[in-house]
Amino acid sequence: MRPPGRRRDGGVATAVMVLPATVLYTVMLIVPVGLAIYLSLTDWDGYSAAPAFVGGSNYGEVLSDPEFRRAAFVTLLAAVVGTVGMNVLGLGFGMLVSRTTRVSSILRTILFYPHVLSALVVGFLWSAILGTNGAVNSFLTSHGAKLLPFLSDPDWATATLIAVLVWAQFGVSTVLYVAGLQTVPQNLLEAARIDGATKWQTFRHVTLPAIAPVVTVNLVLSLITLLKTYDLVVSLTSGGPAGQTQTLAYLILWNSFHDGRLGFGSAQSVVLMIVTAGLALAVTRLRRRADQGAHA
Amino acid sequence: MTTATRTVASADLDSPPPPAAPTPPKRAGRDPLRLVLRALVLLVVAVVMLVPLYLLLVNAFKDQQDILADPFGLSGGLTLDHLGAALQNPRFSIVKGYAITVLFVVLVNVFSVLLAGPAAYVIARSTKRLFRVLMVFFLAGTFIPSQVLVIPVVYVLKTLGLMGTIPGYVLFETTLTLPFSIFLYAGFIRTVPRDLDQAAALDGCGRIRTFWRIIFPLMRPAVATMVILNTFSVWNDFVNPQTILGPSSGLYTVTTGIYAAVGQYQTDYTVVFPTLLLAIAPLLVFFVIMQRHIISGLTAGSTKG
Repeated sequence: MRPPGRRRDGGVATAVMVLPATVLYTVMLIVPVGLAIYLSLTDWDGYSAAPAFVGGSNYGEVLSDPEFRRAAFVTLLAAVVGTVGMNVLGLGFGMLVSRTTRVSSILRTILFYPHVLSALVVGFLWSAILGTNGAVNSFLTSHGAKLLPFLSDPDWATATLIAVLVWAQFGVSTVLYVAGLQTVPQNLLEAARIDGATKWQTFRHVTLPAIAPVVTVNLVLSLITLLKTYDLVVSLTSGGPAGQTQTLAYLILWNSFHDGRLGFGSAQSVVLMIVTAGLALAVTRLRRRADQGAHA
Repeated sequence: MTTATRTVASADLDSPPPPAAPTPPKRAGRDPLRLVLRALVLLVVAVVMLVPLYLLLVNAFKDQQDILADPFGLSGGLTLDHLGAALQNPRFSIVKGYAITVLFVVLVNVFSVLLAGPAAYVIARSTKRLFRVLMVFFLAGTFIPSQVLVIPVVYVLKTLGLMGTIPGYVLFETTLTLPFSIFLYAGFIRTVPRDLDQAAALDGCGRIRTFWRIIFPLMRPAVATMVILNTFSVWNDFVNPQTILGPSSGLYTVTTGIYAAVGQYQTDYTVVFPTLLLAIAPLLVFFVIMQRHIISGLTAGSTKG
């Protein structure tokens, strides 16, 4: 027999189990998203209790700000080139190390390890290697060669930044592709081989469709990760030379905390959030057909 | 996206592919040129990946002029002086940094499990629309880039009086773990038979007891994955501790401490290399020992982004 109060007790227990997580998540993540939108319409400096409402003027300034445009260009360049690099290398090496042998396993570990280091450490390490007095340039000059401006020339520095991003991240794509490749039905590969398909034909018509969902996840993940690049810029280039390698996340935090323009920074954050969500959705949309092919 | 995540998550990297049909050996050995080329490519990439680590290791034990004169070699001899100096850096005590970071890692992991576990249980077991909506509500959080949220989070923490405090930082880091933890735990709990819950209820267990006594002990693989993910993300986080705790609090994690110790002194390699080595050594040793579990855990969890 169920005592009359039992149902309500069950409700209390349910609330005790669900509410703490829900409340914390709402206060610390959902409210801030709303606040970012609100603050972007104000001139908050981080200290004043009552920020003044300034309407859309922050957004107008964001879109006409040459610094913002340059940072947006660098960020998009890094995101697109980096995504292509991470995925081409990730899939290529994924295929080379997907077997379950000891050597493959060690190679996967070697490709993956930079991901467990903080991006800040990776940046400091590479700046000690590629800086003007860094290991590579010391080696070059002591052997009579000329210095290479890896971090001191704007174009070189942008290329270096993207290369280091790919160096640190493509191991993640690799292990994700390995996991995907191990699910490709062996009998299909076997059938293709018996039918006399070339390696490229097998890859194009059997492997690639079978791992389509993994490709999508990888593309979206790389894009999202690269769009919010911050730590590596801090330690590798400090945004320099002359602010040429500032990414959007770097510029946002710089404007907000160094310049004390949190309202302006919030407007930039909102733009970045919209661009990130838009690009992630667009890629998912574009890949939908390929994904469905995989399930057919 | 969800389907793909599951596919990836379920494939354990080091277990043999299910219907194991090994490539016929004659095929692999057919073209020696191809084999050599393949080995060469793999060798080159392994060197490119490992050279930075090698430079970090050897240069941590060398004097500045030896690093500059011969960065790749050992001609100048080795010394422990600079490693010792890095250990006693007055700007940043790395030992204290380890302790504080480990404390944060433990607190975030404990709170994350305490909050996400029961919530995921209710969501997984309920057929009510309310809880399906709640799952979607939490899932939305996996797509919010936390780095650019730090401004409004500062505002919220100031309002709550938690800015610059350990509870404020730990609560925010815990929040960042919730969306993906709840998603992963709920998926896992759905695979546990409901008969177990009913048997516990018949024995007079309430819902909370049923979860902690019966279900939670079965969730070990999912909890292990999340602990690995959370440990790395808390250990390596830079923006959040730097902003929320700030230099004025005197509370340095390993990452913010490195920034304080190395950021201004990037050309003094006798500071840079030993400090970076000390910062990554524990994590790298942990990774090498646990790499199989870590890679499959991170693979399962990397949709967190």
